[in-house]
Amino acid sequence: MIARDRNWLLIFAVCVALAVVYPFFAGGYQLTVIRDALIFGLFAASLDFFWGRTGILCFGHAAFFGIGGYIMALVTLNDAIPFGSLLGIVGAVAGAAFVAAIIGYFLFFGGIRGSYFTIVTLAMGVICQQAAVSWSSVTGGDSGLIGIPPIEFDLGGLHVDLSQDLPSYIFVTAIVAVVVLALWSISRGRWGTVLTAIQDNEIRAAALGHNAPLRLLVTFVLSAAIAGLAGALYVCMAGLVAPDLSGLLLSTEVIVWVAVGGRGTLLGPVLGAIFIQRAQQTISSFNPSLWPLLLGCVFVIIVFVLPDGILSIYARLKALFKGGRRAQ
Amino acid sequence: MPRRGCSSACANVSPVRLDAMDFVITTLLNALTLISILMLVGLGLAISFGLMNVTNLAHGEFVTVGAFAVYFVQSMGGSFWLGLAAAPIAGAVVGCILEFAIIRHLYSRPVSTVLATWGVSLILQQGLELTFGLGAKPVTPPIEGTLDLVFTVYPAYRLILIGIAMLTLLGVVLLISRTSFGLDIRTVIQNREMAEGVGINTRRTYAIAFTFGAAIAGLAGGLVAPLAIVLPQMGVNYLANAFFVVIVGGVGSIGGLVAGSVFVGGLTSILNYQISPSLAQAIVLLAAIVAVRLRPNGLFNGASR
Repeated sequence: MIARDRNWLLIFAVCVALAVVYPFFAGGYQLTVIRDALIFGLFAASLDFFWGRTGILCFGHAAFFGIGGYIMALVTLNDAIPFGSLLGIVGAVAGAAFVAAIIGYFLFFGGIRGSYFTIVTLAMGVICQQAAVSWSSVTGGDSGLIGIPPIEFDLGGLHVDLSQDLPSYIFVTAIVAVVVLALWSISRGRWGTVLTAIQDNEIRAAALGHNAPLRLLVTFVLSAAIAGLAGALYVCMAGLVAPDLSGLLLSTEVIVWVAVGGRGTLLGPVLGAIFIQRAQQTISSFNPSLWPLLLGCVFVIIVFVLPDGILSIYARLKALFKGGRRAQ
Repeated sequence: MPRRGCSSACANVSPVRLDAMDFVITTLLNALTLISILMLVGLGLAISFGLMNVTNLAHGEFVTVGAFAVYFVQSMGGSFWLGLAAAPIAGAVVGCILEFAIIRHLYSRPVSTVLATWGVSLILQQGLELTFGLGAKPVTPPIEGTLDLVFTVYPAYRLILIGIAMLTLLGVVLLISRTSFGLDIRTVIQNREMAEGVGINTRRTYAIAFTFGAAIAGLAGGLVAPLAIVLPQMGVNYLANAFFVVIVGGVGSIGGLVAGSVFVGGLTSILNYQISPSLAQAIVLLAAIVAVRLRPNGLFNGASR
């Protein structure tokens, strides 16, 4: 257990170091590409925090990403609201958490787990996207909202202005690093241990005095809040928000990022998000309709060939060589 | 990507004569149309999700395949009825392949089933799009025109749809309660190990039941094709609604299926008069969640757990 923690921290430190030195080698455009990928990585980590720790799959996580994005867009586009960027982020996080709290309360305390939860969240994602399209007086309908200003605020004498590439890259990297580290320390501590106990045997965990529905609810709300944060960051960096941000395809993609990167590792999903988006951009430049087809194949391959993600290849190879040595 | 614009399973017909009786009957018939379709789609889901504990996210694609079968037959010059006969066959073929290639290997891994069937769903959607091209596919109903029902005037095809759906459901009830295969299914559902012990091939029974559910969903797709927007991505709406039906109604009985369909279909089509379809969907989802919280075992099966 201790060795595993050390390994994780080591990989985390290497990733942070790479992120720190990257601006010295990359131009402005490449920085923005990685920055946007990191935001989706944060989104993936938020799903992994819930799915990886509870074993319950949320199939509409993009709904929270989209809710965060739309709230951020509406707050910052409204000139009457002061401190737009800060209030927008707070509102985005709170809005996503609120929706998750309502849905989560009814589901978790109603005894809904497993596949049922997956289905209801799937439907929630479909409805969020439809709502974004049809409520056009507020959300701008199919074309969404454009002209969202970059994040800019004063906090305790510190002036933060993210209209340039480098500051926004540093800001996003710092947030992703801090949040991932925080999620990791939550999930390896007592909270995560209890969640694992609930996942293994909820009745037994409840008999030991743990309020299982409440634990699941709080974890779900926290996960949704971070997804909302990621959505808020994304729309400010991209400058626009569209219904696709809460859509089923994004919900699907984030599952693939987590599954490929390795469920329950928190860091793997971030890396998975970065690499798969890279692949997606390359493939989509040939033929845009090829990507969903490949995505479908990736799902099937993951299930049958790599149920523990890309990182498990390393563990398997290690086991293979170890086994070979023993045989000699 | 799931296209927008097909937000409800099928649109409502507006009343013609504009008096109270007309309004009531038209509303009832609209609801009945939607309920019939939901019952057919939900039946296969009740078999796989409710009884075999398999979460098949590709179930909506059986509906899509059925609708495309009708379109394909019509575009080759065949009649609607020929297409409607092809629809359940197409659904059954896809369902049989899916069960054989994927689902039977994953009975003990529920989350993997979700991921794999979703992958298959994406592959089927894109496959259909690559084969038949972008855009909605036109399907013409076999009978145009309306039927005079004393109090109101209603499209004749929708009445036929309701009739076929009811007959199919009756057939399924008889199949399950009166034939030896139905007895096998009921035995396997009650206790799989015991069923194996008395010599029933449970794998085969599961496979046939799953294929059968896919065929019924394909039939539903064929029936709804003239009313709906036929797109490769149309399945997801039926998927979500059909899951609501099964979750709300509770698993394990035809009564639950009917109760769930009446709840979801009735609420949707009544709300569709007042508000936009997507808001109606959201309300139905919320109502379904609340219903599950209050009656965890389904509307039909009582409050005890």
